[in-house]
Amino acid sequence: MHSKIARAALIIVVAGFGLAAARRVRAQNDAAKAYKANCVMCHAANGSGDAPAGKALKAKDLRTDQTQKKSDSELADTIAKGKGKMPAFGAKLSPDLIKSLVAYVRDLAKK
Amino acid sequence: MVPLRSRGFAWSAVLKIAAFVIPIVWLVILSEPNAHAVPSYSRQTGLACSTCHYTPPELTPFGRKFKLDGYTFTTKAQVTSEDKDHNSGLHLLESFPLSVLFDASYSATKSPQPATQNGNFQFPQDASLFLAGAWGSHVGSFVQVTYDSQADHFSWDNTDIRMANNSGHLFGKPLTYGATFNNNPTVEDLWNSTPAWGYPWVGSSVAPSPSAAAIINGTLGQDVAGIGGYAMWNDHFYLDGTIYRSEHIGGPQPNPGTDFGFNIRGVAPYWRAAWQTSTENNNVEIGTYGMHMKSSPNTITGLEDSYTDWAVDFQYDRTIPQFKNDVLSFRGTYIRENSARVATFAAGGAAQPGNHLNTVQGNVEYHFGSRLSGTGGFFNVTGTADPLLYAPAPVTGSGTGSPASTGYTLNVSWWPEQNINLGVQYTGYLRFNGAGTNYDAAGRSAGANDTTYLLLRLVF
Repeated sequence: MHSKIARAALIIVVAGFGLAAARRVRAQNDAAKAYKANCVMCHAANGSGDAPAGKALKAKDLRTDQTQKKSDSELADTIAKGKGKMPAFGAKLSPDLIKSLVAYVRDLAKK
Repeated sequence: MVPLRSRGFAWSAVLKIAAFVIPIVWLVILSEPNAHAVPSYSRQTGLACSTCHYTPPELTPFGRKFKLDGYTFTTKAQVTSEDKDHNSGLHLLESFPLSVLFDASYSATKSPQPATQNGNFQFPQDASLFLAGAWGSHVGSFVQVTYDSQADHFSWDNTDIRMANNSGHLFGKPLTYGATFNNNPTVEDLWNSTPAWGYPWVGSSVAPSPSAAAIINGTLGQDVAGIGGYAMWNDHFYLDGTIYRSEHIGGPQPNPGTDFGFNIRGVAPYWRAAWQTSTENNNVEIGTYGMHMKSSPNTITGLEDSYTDWAVDFQYDRTIPQFKNDVLSFRGTYIRENSARVATFAAGGAAQPGNHLNTVQGNVEYHFGSRLSGTGGFFNVTGTADPLLYAPAPVTGSGTGSPASTGYTLNVSWWPEQNINLGVQYTGYLRFNGAGTNYDAAGRSAGANDTTYLLLRLVF
C-alpha cells in the first residue's frame, strides 16, 4: 500500500517537473520569437545594438553591465513603457511575455 | 538689370499667395497644439516620423529596416490568434492603416509658356490616400491613390506590397528576405539615390520638363505591374530582382496595346545589387541597378524596341554629433540606356534604330535636425541626337534633335511639425532639349523654363 502511494507521489513530482520544464521551454521560445520580432531591428540578434538601425539610434548593448545591473522590474518597465528613442511595447506584449523577454536579455549576456 | 516682372517672377502674386497660405498653416498648427507626425506608419510603430526619415522621403537606417521587413513592425495592440496545429494565425492592427496627404503649390516659370498665364496656384496640386501599414505579421504595404487636380480624378499611384521574413540565417549571418508586388521599378528600393525616391522629392506639374528620360528613370511608373524577390544578408549585401509586365491604368484588359507607348513583350527584368555599411555616425551605400525591356509601341505584335538600362548609385549620410546630430547627405546616380528602337524606326518615329542616353544626377543635402533641410542638386542628360525622336515643337520639343539637358535644383524645406512641410524650390536650366537658346526652334531659351515652386504639404 505504502509503496503504491510512494510510486504515485513520484509520478506526480516527475510530471510536475516535466510540466514546469515544458512551460519554461515554451516561455523561452516565445521570448526568442518576441525578441526577433520586436528587438532585433535595433539591438541585433546578439543584443550588441550593432545593427545599422541600432547604431544610428545609439541603441544600448544589452550585454553590458549598464543594462545587466538593472533589476528585472526596471528592465520590464523599460520594455513596457519605452525609454528615450525606444518605443513602449506595453500595449502589444503581455506582462508574462515581457517577463520572459527580461530573462532572454539576461541570457544574452551569458552567451 | 532686368526688371523682376519681365523675368517672370511675380512678387505680387507671391505675396497674395503668402497672405492666403500663412493663415491656413497657422490655423492647422494652432488647432492641433499637440499634433504629432502621425501618418499610419507612425501610428503603427509609436515612433515619430523622424525615426524613419531624416526628412521625408529620405530613409534613415531604421526606415530602411522597416521597409525591408515589409512595413510590419508595430508596438501597438493587435487582434491576435496564434498559428496552431491546422489553424492559421491572425495579427491584425487595431487601427486601420490609412493616411492622407494634401499638396497645394504655386509654380512660375521665368517666361510664360506661349498663350498661357504664368504663376499657377494649384489647390490642391494633388491629394493622396495611403493604405500603408502591416496587414499581418509578415505582410505590409505602401499603397497610394492620388487625386490629380488637372486630370480631375483619382488614380492608382506608387504601390509596394511586401511579404518579408527577417529571421533567416545564411552562413551564420542574419538574412532578411521577401517578395514585392509593385508598379514602378525602384519603388521597392531602400535608398534615395535611385529614381522612384530620388531627388527632387517634389516638383511642379505645370512647368515644362526635359523630354528625354531613361525607362528606369520614372518612365514606366504606374504603367507596369511587377513581382519580385529581395534579400539582405548580414545587414550589408542587398539583392533584388523583379519582373514586369505592362499594366495600363485605365486601359482595356486584355491589353490590345493601342495608344500606349510601351507594351512589354514577354517580361522586363529589373535587378538591383547594393552593399552598405554603417558606423554610429556614418551610413554608406554603393550599388548597381538596371532593367531590360522589349516593347512594341501602340501594338502587341510585330517589331520590337529593345532597351537596356544599367546604372550605378551611391549614398552617404553623415551624422554630425557636434551639431546636435544634424545630417549631411550625398547621393548620386549614373544611368546608361542603350536602345534599339527597331519598331519605332520602322514606323517613322526615329531616324535610326540605335540610340543611347546618359543620365547623371547628384545632390547634397544638409538636415538641420528634422525641422529644416537645404538641398542642391544637378542633372545632366546627353545622348544620341535623333530629329524624329526628339522633334521640334514649341516648348516641349527640340530644334536640334538632341536629348541633352543640363540644370540644377535648389530646395529649402521647413517642417514646423514633422507632418507639415513648407518648401521652396528653384530649378534652373543651362540646356534644355539640346540647346541653351532657341532650343525648340520656336525661339524659346532653356532659361525661360527656370521654375520657382512653392509647396505646402500636409500629411496626417
